[in-house]
Amino acid sequence: MIAGGLIVMLTIAGALIAIAQGNIVRAIFGLGVALAGVALAFLALGSPFVAAMEVLIYIGGITVAMVFAVMLSSAGRKEPAAPISRHLMAGLIALAFFVGVAIVITGAEFASPSEPASEAAWSVAELGRHLLNRFNVVFEALSVVLLLAIIGAIAIARRDEPEEVAP
Amino acid sequence: MTIHMWLLFALALFCMGLYATLVRRNLIAILIGIELMLNAASINFMAFNKFVASDPVVGQIIVLFIIGLAAAEVAIALSIVLAVYREHANIDVSDLEELKG
Repeated sequence: MIAGGLIVMLTIAGALIAIAQGNIVRAIFGLGVALAGVALAFLALGSPFVAAMEVLIYIGGITVAMVFAVMLSSAGRKEPAAPISRHLMAGLIALAFFVGVAIVITGAEFASPSEPASEAAWSVAELGRHLLNRFNVVFEALSVVLLLAIIGAIAIARRDEPEEVAP
Repeated sequence: MTIHMWLLFALALFCMGLYATLVRRNLIAILIGIELMLNAASINFMAFNKFVASDPVVGQIIVLFIIGLAAAEVAIALSIVLAVYREHANIDVSDLEELKG
């Protein structure tokens, strides 16, 4: 319970830095803290493997890629403060969404499974077996998506070289 | 923590991401908001996986797929950021008004 509270506080604090900080590098640092909190939440929800993947891919890959993009573009430039009307509109939309969904969540009843899953069902071996049998098509489709994303990223980000003029 | 607390936690994270996406004008800051929303969805899947699902493998696999798709999305988005920066010398979405092939 105390661990859960600490995880929530860490994640929310990181997310607050990420959304409120005008300096974009600090905002990315806040995102990293929030992602670490999410990884701890996955750990608390019983899956060390997914928590490790969260740390590896999100903190180790995505935030580092974002920092590189900042260094290549608007290095540390401060964003001008948004007008108050935009803050109000966005806050109103986010708050309305929060209140509406919170009412639904607090009113909902969730049935627990008839028999609790065994310890073996949580193992990484079982995860891999499902990934390569039952979800094999999705697994392969995701690998194709990643390949296309890499090729697309290179194609979009590449400088257009001036055409060689034939002599 | 009960499942309701996990769901409310994920909802709070999602709304913060939504707010960031709507308020910020820097492309990378908007990307940060989208990442927060994706992570909130992942927490939801893991919470349902622990408390409701009878087979705890499926939720974990869905979260792994979300992480993989987020990685692909970030690669594309950051390359778009670099392309926009080369054209406009900044990455403010207010400046992106023309749509030319």
